[in-house]
Amino acid sequence: MKPPAAKSMISQPPEKDRPLTLLDLKEGDTASILRITGGRHLKARMAGLGIREGTLVRLISAAPFRGPLLVEDVSSGARTMIGRGMAASVEVCDHAPS
Amino acid sequence: MHHRDELVIALAGQPNCGKSTIFNAVAGFKVNTGNFSGTTVSFTETRVLLGGKTVRLIDLPGTYSISSHDLAEKEARDFLLSGNVDVIINVLDSSILGRSLELTIQLLEMNIPMVMALNMYDESQEKGITIDMGLLKTLTGVEAFPVIAVEGTGVRELFDAALRISREQFMPVQPVYDRDVEECIADITLRYPAAVRQALDMDERFVIIRLLEMDEDFEQRVGKIDREFLGYVTEKRRSLAEMHNWPESGVFASHRHAVVFDLFEQIAKVTHKTGMNIRERIDHFIINPMGGLVAIVGLLFFMFFASFLLGDAISGIIEAPLDALGRKVAGMTGGIAAIAVSGLYDGIVAGVGIVLPYLLPLLVLMAVLEDSGLLPRIAFMVDGLLHRFGLHGKSAIPIILGYGCNVPAIMAARNMEYERDRVLTMLIVPFIACSARTVIILALAGKYLGAAWTTAIYVGNILVALAVSFVLSKLQADPSPGIIMDVPPLRRPYPSLVARKVWWRLNEFLTFAWPVIVISSLVLAFLSHAGIDRVIDHVLGPITAGILNLPESTGITLFLGIFRKELTLLMLNQALGTGDVSLILSSAQILVLVVFTVLYIPCIATISTLWKEGGWKVALYSVVLNTTIALLVAGGLAHLLHVA
Repeated sequence: MKPPAAKSMISQPPEKDRPLTLLDLKEGDTASILRITGGRHLKARMAGLGIREGTLVRLISAAPFRGPLLVEDVSSGARTMIGRGMAASVEVCDHAPS
Repeated sequence: MHHRDELVIALAGQPNCGKSTIFNAVAGFKVNTGNFSGTTVSFTETRVLLGGKTVRLIDLPGTYSISSHDLAEKEARDFLLSGNVDVIINVLDSSILGRSLELTIQLLEMNIPMVMALNMYDESQEKGITIDMGLLKTLTGVEAFPVIAVEGTGVRELFDAALRISREQFMPVQPVYDRDVEECIADITLRYPAAVRQALDMDERFVIIRLLEMDEDFEQRVGKIDREFLGYVTEKRRSLAEMHNWPESGVFASHRHAVVFDLFEQIAKVTHKTGMNIRERIDHFIINPMGGLVAIVGLLFFMFFASFLLGDAISGIIEAPLDALGRKVAGMTGGIAAIAVSGLYDGIVAGVGIVLPYLLPLLVLMAVLEDSGLLPRIAFMVDGLLHRFGLHGKSAIPIILGYGCNVPAIMAARNMEYERDRVLTMLIVPFIACSARTVIILALAGKYLGAAWTTAIYVGNILVALAVSFVLSKLQADPSPGIIMDVPPLRRPYPSLVARKVWWRLNEFLTFAWPVIVISSLVLAFLSHAGIDRVIDHVLGPITAGILNLPESTGITLFLGIFRKELTLLMLNQALGTGDVSLILSSAQILVLVVFTVLYIPCIATISTLWKEGGWKVALYSVVLNTTIALLVAGGLAHLLHVA
C-alpha cells in the first residue's frame, strides 16, 4: 500500500475536553488508536478486524448519507468499514508524520 | 475417537481468506464462493480420495478468532475441538498476513496437527511482502505453502503435506508469551484439576488460555466442574491485568497480539510499493461518495438490462425450432397420450424456451458481482441510506443476492450480528424479485408493456421493500447498531470459476426446478382435462377476479406459483389457452398480474428456508406480510387502473 501522505496532521481540532475520535479524521489522515471505549464484545469484533489500541489507521473515505467510514490498517493494508456510532468510540491521537 | 479409516481435514481461517475456493479446487464446485466476508455461513463437507485414502474434507465458516461471540464462529470452534479433526488446514490471506496470523496463533494453541495455506500469494507479492516460510516453520512447527486458490496453484502440495502430517502426528510449537503470562499459566497448570482434564479432554494449556481470555463458554464449563479452580484462575487473571495495566478482558489478547506482531516482523519483509494498479484505481473511484453511487446505480441498471437483452436474444434464437415442434404436438389427437404429450411439451419448452434464456445471463452477472468484491462496496455506499429505512449496510448483500435466489439470500443474513437486523433482513428479502420473478417480469412486462414499465416495476419493487422495512423497523424499540465489516480488495473474477459457479447453479435448475416444472405442467394438463383447475380458479375467484380484476383462470397459475414462481408464467399460456397473453389480458391486467406475482407469498423453498433460519413465526409472518402487501399494492393498482 501507499506510504502515508507526508502531511497527515489532523486538521480539525475538536471542541475542548472532547477526545479526538475517528470521526474527526479527514480523508487521507493517519492516526494512531489510543483507546476504544465500549463493551468487550465490540472491542473483540474490532480487534478481529485489526482495529485495536496502538494500530495506525488511515481514513480512506466516508460514505454518503452519514454512512460508515472506510478505515485502513496501515501496516497490513486491510480495510474495514465502521459505522459512525462505533467510530465515535475509537479515540485516536495525531500521528506525527515520519 | 481416532479409530476411523477416514481422515478428517478441516479448512479453518478468517473470513474471505479463500477456504471455500480451496475446498472447491479439491472437491469440484460444491460450495458458493465470493469476494466478501461470510460467503460460507454453514459447514460443508465432502468425501474426496486423496493419495488412496478417503478424506472427509470440511469447509468451516470464517472466524476472526476462536473466542468469538458469533454463532457461526462458535460452531466452527466447537467442531475443531470435537476431537474428530485430524489435521487443520489454516488458510491465510497472505496479502494481509499480520491480521491473518492472529487466528493462526489461536489455532496453534488447540494443539492439533496443522498446515498453513498462504493463499492469495500473488497479491502479497504484488504488495511487496516477502515471507520466510522456513523461519515460519521453525517458529510455529507448521509447514506453510504458497497457494493461489483461484488458479489451483499450490493446492496439491498443500494436501500432500496435510496427509503427511496426519501420518506423522506432527504437533505445532506452542507460542511463548512474556514471562509474567507464562508464570501465570504455569501456576494455574499446577492446580489444574483432574476432573476438568477428564471432562473436557482438551489440551490443558489451551483451556487455561481460554479461561485467561475470559471465554464465557469455557468459564461456564469449567465452573460447573470446579468452582474453586475457576475462582483461582480469575484471581490470577486479575493480578495479571493489574500488573500490565490492562482491562481484565483484554490483557491476554493484548499479549497475544504482541506475539503475533513479533512473529510477523520476523517472517515477513515488506517493501512498500508506490502507485496504484488498475483495480486500485477503479476502487479509488468507487469508494468516493459521488463516484461510487453513480457507479453502483449504473452497474445495477446495466446488469438488469444486459440480462434482459441477452435473454431476449437467446429466446429469439430458440423460438423458431420450438414453435415448429409445438405445431406437431398441437396436431396430435387421441385421448390420454395426447394430453400427456402436450403437458410434457409445455413443461419442457417452458424450461428451455422461457426460463433459461433469462436465467443464464443473470447467473453470470451475479457470479461476477459476487467474485469481484463489489458487494461490500455497495454495502458501504448504501449503509447510510438503508439506515433511514431501518436496515443496515450489511442487509444490502442479502438483498442483492436475493435478485438471484431468495434462498441463499436469506441464509446470507446469518452474516448479521444482531437478531433485530437479521430478522428484518429475512423479512425483506422475499420481497426482492428473484431470478424466477425476473423471468416473469421480463417475459410479461418486458414483452408486452415495454422497457419503461419494466424499469418502473423494479423501482417500485424496491420502494415497496423499503417502505415495508421502514414500517417494520418503527415497530421495534431499539435502533440498529452500526456496521462493522471487512472490505477486501477488488479482485478480477476468474472466467473459469465464474463458469463453474454458473454451471453449479444452473445444475440446480436443471435437476430440481425443471423437473418440477415439467411434472406440474403434466399434472395441470390432466387437471384441466378433468376440470379440477376450475375448482381452484373458483376458490381463488374472490382474489383474482374480485380484488385483482383478472380472469378467474389465472387462479391456478398463481396457486402453482407458490411451488415455483416460474410456474405462474409458464402455466399462464396453458391456463389462458393461448401463447399470446395480450389477446386475453389488457395491459393493465398484465401489470397487475406481474406486480402481484412479484410480491405475493414467497415460494415453498423460501418459506422453508425462513422457517429453518428464523423459526416458524418468521416464516408465517413473512407469508402473511407478503400476501397482504401484494393484495394492497396490486389490488390498489387494479382499482386505480380500472377506474381510470
